[in-house]
Amino acid sequence: MQVLRIIPERCTGCMRCELACSYVQTGAFQPARSVIRVAPFEAHTSYAPYTCPQCAEGWCLTACPVGAITLSPVGAKIVLDDQCVGCKLCTIACPYGTIFYNPQTQKAFKCDLCGGEPACARACPTAAIEYVEAETADWLGAFAAERAPRHQELQVAGAGVR
Amino acid sequence: MATRHLIVGGGTAGLNAIRTIRAHDRGESEIVLVSAERPYSRMVLPYYLGRSIAEAHVFTATPAHLAQLQVQAHLGRRAATLDPAANRLTLDDGTVLPYDNCLIATGSSAVRAPVPGADSPGVHSFWTLPQARGVVGEIREGSHVVLVGAGFIAFTLLNALLARKAHLTIVEIAPQLLPRMIDRTGAEMVEKWLRRDGVAIRTGATLTAIEDAQGQKRLRFRQGEDLLADAVLMATGIRANLEWLQGSGIWVNRGIVVDDHLRSSVGNVYAAGDVAEGLDLVTGQPAVHAIEPTAMEHGRVVGANMAGRNIAYRGSLLMNIVEVCHLDIASFGAWDDPAAEAVAATRPERWAYRKLLWRGDRLVGAMILGMSSDIWTTNDVGMLKGLVQAGSDLGPWKEHLRRHPFDIKPAFIAAGTTARLLPQTILGRPSVPVGPVM
Repeated sequence: MQVLRIIPERCTGCMRCELACSYVQTGAFQPARSVIRVAPFEAHTSYAPYTCPQCAEGWCLTACPVGAITLSPVGAKIVLDDQCVGCKLCTIACPYGTIFYNPQTQKAFKCDLCGGEPACARACPTAAIEYVEAETADWLGAFAAERAPRHQELQVAGAGVR
Repeated sequence: MATRHLIVGGGTAGLNAIRTIRAHDRGESEIVLVSAERPYSRMVLPYYLGRSIAEAHVFTATPAHLAQLQVQAHLGRRAATLDPAANRLTLDDGTVLPYDNCLIATGSSAVRAPVPGADSPGVHSFWTLPQARGVVGEIREGSHVVLVGAGFIAFTLLNALLARKAHLTIVEIAPQLLPRMIDRTGAEMVEKWLRRDGVAIRTGATLTAIEDAQGQKRLRFRQGEDLLADAVLMATGIRANLEWLQGSGIWVNRGIVVDDHLRSSVGNVYAAGDVAEGLDLVTGQPAVHAIEPTAMEHGRVVGANMAGRNIAYRGSLLMNIVEVCHLDIASFGAWDDPAAEAVAATRPERWAYRKLLWRGDRLVGAMILGMSSDIWTTNDVGMLKGLVQAGSDLGPWKEHLRRHPFDIKPAFIAAGTTARLLPQTILGRPSVPVGPVM
């Protein structure tokens, strides 16, 4: 299956992926509704986008009491809006923090790989997000761990990194 | 002869077991289901009460669907006695069902406060579909509803009752709201939040009697004024449906004691969900987790093992999440472990509260409050669950989280949590979606 491969070293933090994602997912440019989220590291000197890894277990999918989460033809776990009742079980079952809840529509929402043409990958100007045939993986762990000592140092100094 | 699997209980655990068996054998075995009710999800009944879904939406398997799964269903029947030595179950109408292996997944029933008048007309439980129908028929715009009990089940009803424009009073015997889900600090925030939405709250209130009062109900308390109500909803706890197993020889402690394969003291009898006392993922100790996710995981593990696989279960993670008036409230794992090292922080301006619990460098539990419009709330609910589930030593990130309990993401990512979680599956293979019931 094709997955979103993240190459964090290439990310410039331009947030175009969040804009593109929210536009395709909701019809409006609102990063707060984006399901790919750019995380800053080392006091905003480096960045990396983070999104649903489309894990094998599908914790969201199995948790749903009404079968409202299923597999799309491209292998993404997707929420069927007309079935979702908004109970939020999926949001606590997902150990990656990558399924969200819209209080306006009272539905869960998540990355559906845009039906096979992920807007984030197309919008990324530096190819930090690629949509390729690969096994899903922890794309960010090593990158973040390398930057960890500096992050903690800044935190201890009270720099208020987020 | 084909293996005969007997599933006692058509709730979440039973249905997940059936679907998992069929995903493995595609119809080679016999499956017999005994269920007192047509299968539906109790979890979604509040949304039916709130009119956001139709009644038909609550069903998790239609008769046609069961037929398609090649299930011989005894609906409307209850199990009466189990004879494990003879591998036979007797139903309440005398029907005898032999089995090769059996799953006990009979769930729980609602329990009412033991006071005079608790069983009188106009006093309702909200646990089964018939009970839900009763409440739906009773509550009108402007009805004064008294909700007795302020636990998780009661809280799942709040949005629906408010959507029906009922005037709501919550009474709770404990000194705080949600006593088995959040701590005192969190409960005080929830109380303030709900009062803003016009909900009246009385904690530390011991109900002594419910009387008829000219078409209404009068609730009397050990202390304080009486309350008058058009309808009384009791959400004062649940009790596992285990009485029928007395004399069967199945070992019952707080629930049916099961091993890591969800087998009871009798090797070909399994138990799952609310009736099972299985492993707790965090403590490694036996525990009863009467929650939907545990019933689902138990059911799948039993289904796989009944179908001949050898699946050991790592244990269930206690977790609850409920949203009331756009405030998210969640806790999981050892959130109230008195021996754990606890770190708490609030952001009162955002109605946000976090409590993280540690054993050494390992996160063992957490509690989260926050507005559901705040994207960080859900983000962090999931990531904290992931950190507890991964169970890794967080080393220097523990100190980071101690100082900054609202800054979860860098710790989650840099600790390699994703790499630890990705290989984890309950059944040792990718999950198969069941899809909605049409």
